[in-house]
Amino acid sequence: MSDTSKFKINNYTESNKLFARALKVIPGGIYGHLGPAEGCSIPISAFPLFSERAEGAYFWDVDGNRFIDYMCAYGPNILGYNDKEVDAAALAQLKKANCTTTPSRLLLDAAECMVDTIEMADWAFFAKNGGDTTTLAIMTARAATGRKKIVLTKGYYHGVAPWTQKLGYEGIIPEDVSNNLYIDWNAPEQFEALIKKYPGEIAGFISTPYYHPVFTDNKLPAEGYWQKIRKLCDDNGIVLIFDDVRAGFRLDIAGSDKHYGVKADLSCFCKAIANGYNVSALCGVASLKGTVADVMYTGSYWMSAVPFAALVANINKLKRDNIVPLINEIGRKLENGLVDVAKSNGFDLIISGEPSMWFMRLGNDYPSTLLHQEWVAECVKRGVFFTNHHNHFINAALTDADLQYTWDVADEAYKVIRARHPDANYIK
Amino acid sequence: MDNVTKAKINLYAVLRNLQDLCSLDEESKNLIRGVNLKVGFNVNSVGSAVLEFSNGECKFVRGKGKAGLQLYFVSAEHFNKLIDGENTIPIFYNVFQVGFLLKTFTKLAERLSYYLKPSSEELFNDPEFLKINTILTAYTAFYALCEIGNSDVVGKITAKRIPDGVINCLITGVIGMNITVKNGVMSAAQGLVDNPHAIMEFFDIQIAHEVLQGKTDTFSGLGQGRFQIRGFIPMLENMAKLLNQVKWYLR
Repeated sequence: MSDTSKFKINNYTESNKLFARALKVIPGGIYGHLGPAEGCSIPISAFPLFSERAEGAYFWDVDGNRFIDYMCAYGPNILGYNDKEVDAAALAQLKKANCTTTPSRLLLDAAECMVDTIEMADWAFFAKNGGDTTTLAIMTARAATGRKKIVLTKGYYHGVAPWTQKLGYEGIIPEDVSNNLYIDWNAPEQFEALIKKYPGEIAGFISTPYYHPVFTDNKLPAEGYWQKIRKLCDDNGIVLIFDDVRAGFRLDIAGSDKHYGVKADLSCFCKAIANGYNVSALCGVASLKGTVADVMYTGSYWMSAVPFAALVANINKLKRDNIVPLINEIGRKLENGLVDVAKSNGFDLIISGEPSMWFMRLGNDYPSTLLHQEWVAECVKRGVFFTNHHNHFINAALTDADLQYTWDVADEAYKVIRARHPDANYIK
Repeated sequence: MDNVTKAKINLYAVLRNLQDLCSLDEESKNLIRGVNLKVGFNVNSVGSAVLEFSNGECKFVRGKGKAGLQLYFVSAEHFNKLIDGENTIPIFYNVFQVGFLLKTFTKLAERLSYYLKPSSEELFNDPEFLKINTILTAYTAFYALCEIGNSDVVGKITAKRIPDGVINCLITGVIGMNITVKNGVMSAAQGLVDNPHAIMEFFDIQIAHEVLQGKTDTFSGLGQGRFQIRGFIPMLENMAKLLNQVKWYLR
């Protein structure tokens, strides 16, 4: 604890030492969304860089600092880190076999588990990352329709394959994205206009269940939105693809399409599917089963048995303990507390998205977000891991004591920011 | 890459460096001492600019203007050849001032090349050279990325993705620039604004030099805490894509 803080202010000496080593042998030190650049660690001095262990709602970094983790490894942690039941199932399978020449019978168990759980699913095809499944979904839609074009909603994220990126990004050429068409979120009339403009050319419509891009307020589907999209797809022979990689198992155990009252043709799952074990799944309706079987698509580790054991144990526990309503209730409670704490300090905290994976920003400093970034950094320094750019995630291991700790840290962090910027635009 | 965008970069980012060169470099200051002349550069299908030399200073003004010596280039390629150092003769008006073009301007261009196209890596061991090189490189890069955002076919797509606002770009304690974006149209100016929407900051000359010369990637610079971005990141994220394009035009 410092003289002025009720909380221990983290020191990251070991993290920084490791990062200096990493820079010599790893591009960017830590590449991707877990790294300080894409992870928007602003300023980097406030953030841990390497973790040592994790348990329940927490992870500890290599300097021994504990964090209540509201990013949940960007989604995979849903039950709590190192969940005993999931780990026991995985370790039991590891003692038998993992990566073998013929797949384990757990492949079948996992597929049956998905089909029994996900309402739209008549089959499941497993891979490793969410992006594996979104790309397979696009290929399947093209194979099924004989068409090229794909409609996406602006602000989308469907992985990192070239077709999911944008012209102007390093390594992307016009041909990579030449068959992509874009509409705004909640704008079915734009979809209809594209169908008229490109008759018989659109293979699929891919979208997340609700609008959850980075840096921006999240938006839920407007009343009747998904039903209009479904009808336009049905009327025009277009495959409806739900990218449920991020929201899957956090809105509805049976799939986010069911949550919003429609049935997708293809649904992509990853993140919370196996509580941190590496597996993803594309699920689909019966009419596309033969098509996807014909698509050339495979990978070295896609049939590893250990993640399948974890998947089955995880989904069984999610169902048995009714986890989805629980994490949404925890999220709602946390959000309400954070908004109250912010308000008591003169800050206008704006929450959007679904409670189990909420997005937050300040109204006081939008769009610069400079105050919000400083507040997030002060929280992280005190052991509450938020990000300033991305939606957060709730896991079932969070306790009331964790929420209270979070609110107390948030309160002190707001006071620090207010003292640092006495003349900012505070609410009365 | 297209010739018109390259010519705009050469005119509004590279040539404009003469203004700063003449204030930073003693030899260049000496070259323009006593010169009182306005030189107009007019490039067909690209644009115009005027270099104003007076009282030992050089001022770059974007757009058409009255000038004692007017130079005309028939095409973007014609102008690009001049900046690339190839033998080319502009069409000029006022034969009595052509001496300036052949002597002073040529020498200024050589000084600019000395700093922007160093003949040896060892030059960077001289702190003064490193400083002037980095300042001129930074100005070139930030003015150039605006031209790319306004003119290059891919750059225009990227620029349209940048939310409206102002970005402060600075090397701490050395230089500051601000880049304004409105409806996908970009402009750059020297100096910092009070309430930017986003900030890109190099904490010292060395990291600015390393990043701008491609010796260190921005991710590593960020990770080391020697370079920082903050504020509305979508502005910076897309501006960085334009910055990446600069090297293709200036290689």
